[in-house]
Amino acid sequence: MKAVIAQLRGRLTVLIVVTIVLALLPIMGVPRVLFLYLFLFFIYLTMANMWNLLAGYSGLIFLGPAAFIGLAGYTMTILTWLDIPYYVGIIVGAIVAALFAVLISIPVFRMKGIYFAIGTLVVPEVLRYVFTLWKPVGGPLDGLGRGYPVHGVIDVSRIEVYWLGLVVAIGSIFLMRYILRSKLGMGLAAIRDNDSTAASSGINVFNLKLYSFVIAAFVIGLAGAIFYIYQGAIEPNSAFSVRWLVTIMLATVIGGEGTEEGPIVGTIIVVLLYFLLARYAQISLIIQGVILVGIMSLAPQGIVGSIQKSRPYHYLRQLATKH
Amino acid sequence: MILLSDLATPIVMGILLGGLYAVIALGLSLVFGVVKEINIAHGDLVILGSYFGYVAMTRFGIDPILSLVIGIPILFGIGFVIQKYLLNRAFRISTDATLIIAFGISIILESTYQFIWTPMSRGLTTPYALDSLSAGPIHVPLVYLLDFIAALVVMLFLREFLKRTYLGRAIMAAAQDRKAAHLMGINTDQVYAFTLGISAAFAAIAGVFLGLTFPFTPVSGMAFLIIALGVIVLGGLGSIVGTFVGAIVFGVVQTVSGHFFGVAAQMLAAYTMVLVVLAVIPRGIFGSR
Repeated sequence: MKAVIAQLRGRLTVLIVVTIVLALLPIMGVPRVLFLYLFLFFIYLTMANMWNLLAGYSGLIFLGPAAFIGLAGYTMTILTWLDIPYYVGIIVGAIVAALFAVLISIPVFRMKGIYFAIGTLVVPEVLRYVFTLWKPVGGPLDGLGRGYPVHGVIDVSRIEVYWLGLVVAIGSIFLMRYILRSKLGMGLAAIRDNDSTAASSGINVFNLKLYSFVIAAFVIGLAGAIFYIYQGAIEPNSAFSVRWLVTIMLATVIGGEGTEEGPIVGTIIVVLLYFLLARYAQISLIIQGVILVGIMSLAPQGIVGSIQKSRPYHYLRQLATKH
Repeated sequence: MILLSDLATPIVMGILLGGLYAVIALGLSLVFGVVKEINIAHGDLVILGSYFGYVAMTRFGIDPILSLVIGIPILFGIGFVIQKYLLNRAFRISTDATLIIAFGISIILESTYQFIWTPMSRGLTTPYALDSLSAGPIHVPLVYLLDFIAALVVMLFLREFLKRTYLGRAIMAAAQDRKAAHLMGINTDQVYAFTLGISAAFAAIAGVFLGLTFPFTPVSGMAFLIIALGVIVLGGLGSIVGTFVGAIVFGVVQTVSGHFFGVAAQMLAAYTMVLVVLAVIPRGIFGSR
């Protein structure tokens, strides 16, 4: 037991050191490009963590994360036009995303398994049409393809936004740790293993799934709103695009769905891929597709999942716990 | 009365447009009913059909509908290979795995089209593409009528095929009970591969008619996939008649709401209708169980 605690503490130290280094990087004058990719890493990591909570731990193959991202981004943007500071906008955006999650859970949670997946794929598409039609901000911006710049964030320093990204990313890692060790996480694990047994042991299957859905919506919303502050403008076609799902799913699946470290490893690989293939946009997507198909058919547990199942890992773990 | 005659054209257009949606959705519905997987790449296979028609028309001057004689076997082969070498493996792992692999295939196909045919919008502009028919107050483009005829042909073919041929009966058997079919000496893996092949062959047909009706881009597949998914969940997953009815309901709601609220709002109305219907009857109009 002591050894386990020591092991956990060891990991925690690593995490804290990495966090401090990442937080200090912008002050030390790191090249701008690296900066951007690190920021993307934070945003994608946050989203992948939450997608992992849904798909890996709650059995909800949720294909509509773009709905939360776009809604939170739009809420934040509209609020900046009403002269409300952007950090309030981020929180309100996330709350709107969470409320929307409660709202769509009414039709969507009645569908099971694959029906749920399809139902949630339709949701961002509906929102895309809503935001193409609706002109929330009037005045001179009318008719510019319903895209809006985020008002008054030009003075917000990039470093500030970078730190915001870092905070949500680290926050999402701790949140996952906390949730999985809480009553909610235990309940979700029980549901995943056998939902009828879980239900008959007094676990409210519907409520637990709803809780994790709403939590995920809130955090994905946070990350989405922060992304759009960095981006400086929002537009319905990209805000509700399937691309979000591609990235998030790729990160989670490569790393290992249903493992805590999976999204971290996966997101590092995905962002590295983006970085390496930035100049070959077209081929980049083809390669991402091939990797997704390849990993899923050869090592469906992902990198972390496969390592955890392998012999050397068990051997090392035994060594570590013996002391 | 004026309202009614005003509405006649949108309603007829909606029914005919529903025909196009039915052709797109039937392949997807067949695969869901038999293999119990959602082929997210179906929309992209449809667009492959459109591009095939486009190449046949612009390079070789063949009418896109005639080019299906070659297009159908090619897409059949592609579908067969995808199921046999990728999805059948994934199927043994989990349902999520098939979903994710199909998603990966969809990304690969989409970006390949962008690479080959550029992101420009294309259309199959045949000499008859702009012809229209009128009967009394109703005016409809000829291609919409062709869409509907194609839907009827595909649906009747599928029905007779499943009823009368050995392969069709094997497919039905595998759909009803995979294990029992296996014990009766049916090679279910092979049957699944044939099923996705047939579905892809339908995608070839759907692609050509889609190209005749609407302009398309390399990424159109996702939009039409989402329409097709809306259609089949509306009708009840896996039911052929349900898919057809769902497609027509979807088409009519789309065109009629387009008539009242303008073209921009028509898809929104149709999708909202799908979500509302699902909230009331989660298994769709013709859903089983």
